[in-house]
Amino acid sequence: MGRVPLLRVLALLAIAGGVLLAVPPAAAVDRPAERVVRVGTEGTYPPFTYRDPDSGELTGFDIEVVRAVAEEAGWDLRLVEAPFDSLFPALDSGRIDVIANQVTINPERQARYLFSTPYTYSHGVIVTAQDTDDITTLADLRGRTTAQTSSSNWAQVARDAGAKVQYVQDFGPGVELLVQGRVDAIVNDNIAVLDYLATSGTDEVKIAGDAGDETLEQALAFRRSDPELQQQADAALATLADDGTLAAISEKYFRADVTVRERTGDVDVQASDARTTWEVLRDTAGPMLVGLLKGTIPLTVVSFAVGLTLAVGAALARLSSVRVLDGIARVYISIIRGTPLLVQLFIVFFGLGQVGIRLDPYVAAGIAFSLNVGGYAAEIVRASILSVPRGQYEAATVIGMDYGQSMRRIILPQAARIAVPPLSNTLLSLIKDTSLASLVLVPELFREAQVAAALSTEYLPLYCLAAVYYWVVCQLVTMAQAPLERRLSRYAV
Amino acid sequence: MTDLIEVRGLEKSFGDHHVLRGVDFTAAAGTVTVVLGPSGSGKTTVLRSLNVLETPDAGLVRIDDAVLDFGAPPADRASYRRAVTALRARSGMIFQAHNLFPHKTVLGNLVEGPVQVQRRDPDEAAAAARELLAQVGLAGREDAYPAQLSGGQQQRVGIARALALRPEVLLLDEPTSALDPELVGEVLAVIRDLAAERWTLVIVTHEVRFAREVADQVLFIDDGVVAERGGPEVLTDPREERTRRFLARVLDAG
Repeated sequence: MGRVPLLRVLALLAIAGGVLLAVPPAAAVDRPAERVVRVGTEGTYPPFTYRDPDSGELTGFDIEVVRAVAEEAGWDLRLVEAPFDSLFPALDSGRIDVIANQVTINPERQARYLFSTPYTYSHGVIVTAQDTDDITTLADLRGRTTAQTSSSNWAQVARDAGAKVQYVQDFGPGVELLVQGRVDAIVNDNIAVLDYLATSGTDEVKIAGDAGDETLEQALAFRRSDPELQQQADAALATLADDGTLAAISEKYFRADVTVRERTGDVDVQASDARTTWEVLRDTAGPMLVGLLKGTIPLTVVSFAVGLTLAVGAALARLSSVRVLDGIARVYISIIRGTPLLVQLFIVFFGLGQVGIRLDPYVAAGIAFSLNVGGYAAEIVRASILSVPRGQYEAATVIGMDYGQSMRRIILPQAARIAVPPLSNTLLSLIKDTSLASLVLVPELFREAQVAAALSTEYLPLYCLAAVYYWVVCQLVTMAQAPLERRLSRYAV
Repeated sequence: MTDLIEVRGLEKSFGDHHVLRGVDFTAAAGTVTVVLGPSGSGKTTVLRSLNVLETPDAGLVRIDDAVLDFGAPPADRASYRRAVTALRARSGMIFQAHNLFPHKTVLGNLVEGPVQVQRRDPDEAAAAARELLAQVGLAGREDAYPAQLSGGQQQRVGIARALALRPEVLLLDEPTSALDPELVGEVLAVIRDLAAERWTLVIVTHEVRFAREVADQVLFIDDGVVAERGGPEVLTDPREERTRRFLARVLDAG
């Protein structure tokens, strides 16, 4: 009897495993012509990979190339959409077999993945605001600030040129920062920039010059354990290059053939050696610790202190007999608790920036986190104040205390004891939530991990290391809670 | 002798419930007034009106030179608050549930008002507090927290805390009702001492035998009015039938 559930569990596990790994049926290996090949792509990166606004179909330069390759190589093509940062982990775990997403070949990626022959050659350009005229070469970037996507190699190019780098999620937000005057320049590849300028029609930014003489090569990426696909792709790409298909696709999108190496004297970007996992961890542990000490912890401490002050104010307003105060506090608490923290953060940083209130990233994050803590802790503080017996107010009143004195000296100290456990939960959440500040350019702990992971593709070790940092900090906070509670409740027997 | 306390025409409703329907009485300085009555009669509301823990709808309360006419209160908020503060400053209150500040030591409870409100010198206030503690039999317990004391000790600290403010009148709201029977005696002994020292006391209590012993004046309150007012003889030989019935009930239960 007992074996039936076990068998069912095993069967379920087998099904689940099959779904997760999507192991191709064994028969497919014998008949390569029908092999299912899952191609991972962002789908949000026009003109390379995006959804056609009219048909809703995935299209774009990379999509058309990989479709042509699939037809030539006889693949049963399945397109899988995922954010860029998760494409490599998906490839590692076997959820996709190929990445077609303008993946630039670099030594670290080459150490871990196989690449087809390149189907795009691009070079870097420097983008500035229209009225900037003192930046035309990489040398001009020294000491200036650029906005870069963390995943792109252009961040490294900018850093090597001596520029400070602020990280953005996408090229569009980067241009917004440029227009807002938060950064001086963006280094990106000519194709993406030309396309952006053409499609957005903006005249607020311009291409100010070339970013060195490097040419970058973009290719399809494969698992190292899957050389068969790579060989099929290379054969197909060679055919497509010879019969003019690649050139035709390129002309369609860029009015130029970006599928051939056009410039001479290029520096080979694959010259340097790839780092091992341990070297990456060792090189990143320091910056992450700095991010923790200079980003995460100060942001947490300041936001918690300001947030608690707001919370006490909001709690007292909620308890006030003045209805306007109560109403304001209710609306505040309702907005904070009813909207995502990430949205609040973006409103303060990007939103206010657009109407002329340009806050420093730390300040913007501090404001957003403080408001958030204030909204959540207000109800904790209010409940704690209400849990102090009514007789305590009366005793304070009859010894002649006014409202402020009785709150400060009698009620709040007793409420504090009740509030500590729930507030320490709020603090733990805040510590972890500060990782969201990475999205508004604050160089805190998680930002450093993301940057290093994007460059090295060592996602698992680096994110685990980040998790360990957070865990240790939270443990220390938890350990400090018990003595604090003892101290606050020393009078209760 | 001029009266230290004067109460005239006190009215108070909680919603539809008309708790006080015109309460009048006076009390001379240095006398003990015992307020008796069935539960719900309004006796505690009378006491709490004397320091404005309840705000009467109408009527006048005077303690010494502090007067507040609730029927015609000062027009502006500031003057009203000043009048309330003045009235409160003339009395100290002992609560049924002591309401000591649990996060402060015994000494801390005693000096809180004198130092924070009356702005007296902390050392002087502490010295005075130690004397008061000795007076209520708690010398040496200055550093204990209220939770470390017995109910009787807590209530004696409550009395000392009220005395520390040097009020003109002490208001005691059923000071022994929340205590275990064996602890009642020690608290009554302290109150007896206060009476002997000619403190002006207004006590709401059910301890009729104790009341007979200390009362200079007895107010029997029923259904929101002073049903009978007189000397301690009210407790042994009341004129009013409802007073008689009440006393019989309480003494039987006791």
